Amino acid sequence: MNERTCTLENACKEFEADLVLYYYGDDSEADHLRVERHCRECSRCRGFLEDLRKLLPQIATPQELPATFWDRYYSEMIEKLALQREQGSWWRNFFSPVRAWALPAFGTAVVAALALFLVFGRGEHKPVPSQIPQEVLTDANSLEFFNSMDLLESLGTLEKTEGSRSGLKGLTHT
Amino acid sequence: MNQTSLQDLRDEELVALCQSGQGEVFEILVRRYMEKAFRIALDFTHNTEEAKDLSQDAFLRAFSRIKQFDGRSSFYTWFYRLVVNLCLDYTRRRGRVVWERLENEADGAVAPAGLTDVSSGPDQEAMAGETKRRVDLTLEAMPKKQKTAFLLRNHQGLSISDIAKVMKTTEGTVRVYLHRAVAALRQSLVEFV
Repeated sequence: MNERTCTLENACKEFEADLVLYYYGDDSEADHLRVERHCRECSRCRGFLEDLRKLLPQIATPQELPATFWDRYYSEMIEKLALQREQGSWWRNFFSPVRAWALPAFGTAVVAALALFLVFGRGEHKPVPSQIPQEVLTDANSLEFFNSMDLLESLGTLEKTEGSRSGLKGLTHT
Repeated sequence: MNQTSLQDLRDEELVALCQSGQGEVFEILVRRYMEKAFRIALDFTHNTEEAKDLSQDAFLRAFSRIKQFDGRSSFYTWFYRLVVNLCLDYTRRRGRVVWERLENEADGAVAPAGLTDVSSGPDQEAMAGETKRRVDLTLEAMPKKQKTAFLLRNHQGLSISDIAKVMKTTEGTVRVYLHRAVAALRQSLVEFV
């Protein structure tokens, strides 16, 4: 056992990867010949290769499954595929008569609905009542003052209007 | 075209028929690849029911995406990629695979695992059991890419070039994965070979 362990552990490092590929037949012709030549002279690599030949097929031994398993597998698969085809065809049939124009029509309808909503749905803008500053509201005198200023402004406007009217009358008399 | 002549068609010809609307032709591809798909899934799951579900899901996925197959790779490389990706998703979900003793299947459908030879004596049987346990543990501890490369090469017999296509990597990288996986297995079984 010790000798075998030693043999395995001391396989030539530079040939180890090549030996694996050699075993699987995945190396180039030149590498294949090189490994063969080397193994003729190197007992450690020869032992390594022998171990791979014993070990790897053992790991991969397939489990034999009875024919009934595969029959059941296949029939289940066919059922699942039929179901998938049916679902697929239902979907296609549903859309096939309208398929050519359904998508652009749907897109247009969505855009139109969105536009209508933006124009009419949110169009009722209530005017925001003019806010009287807080500092005015807190002082009753200030409020009165501003109201009187408004009144004076109105009176001034009336006077101007009157003045222009009388001016016009004077012009017509002359 | 009758069923017998359809059976003779190449994968790519069958795929072309599927793409043109003859979905029932896909059943021939199922028949052709169901065993391989199941076995690769079994390598990852170690559970017959889950392997069956995973491999059947892969077929359903392939069928639903058949129009996306552009023929740049062979059908089976493309299909293997679907199977492997589903298996890797499965292992990610599961985290840790719970091994199942296949010989105890209810309907007796499954024979004993490969490394256990029922015809051998008790000592050999025990040794085979220990070997299998070590292989399982080593494969489980292996990085996913190494394990995938090893399973595809050793169990499925795919070429390095096909594995590279399935795994979307270079052939050189696959060689490295394969070498490392074999080295790890050899190391774990050093007393048993």
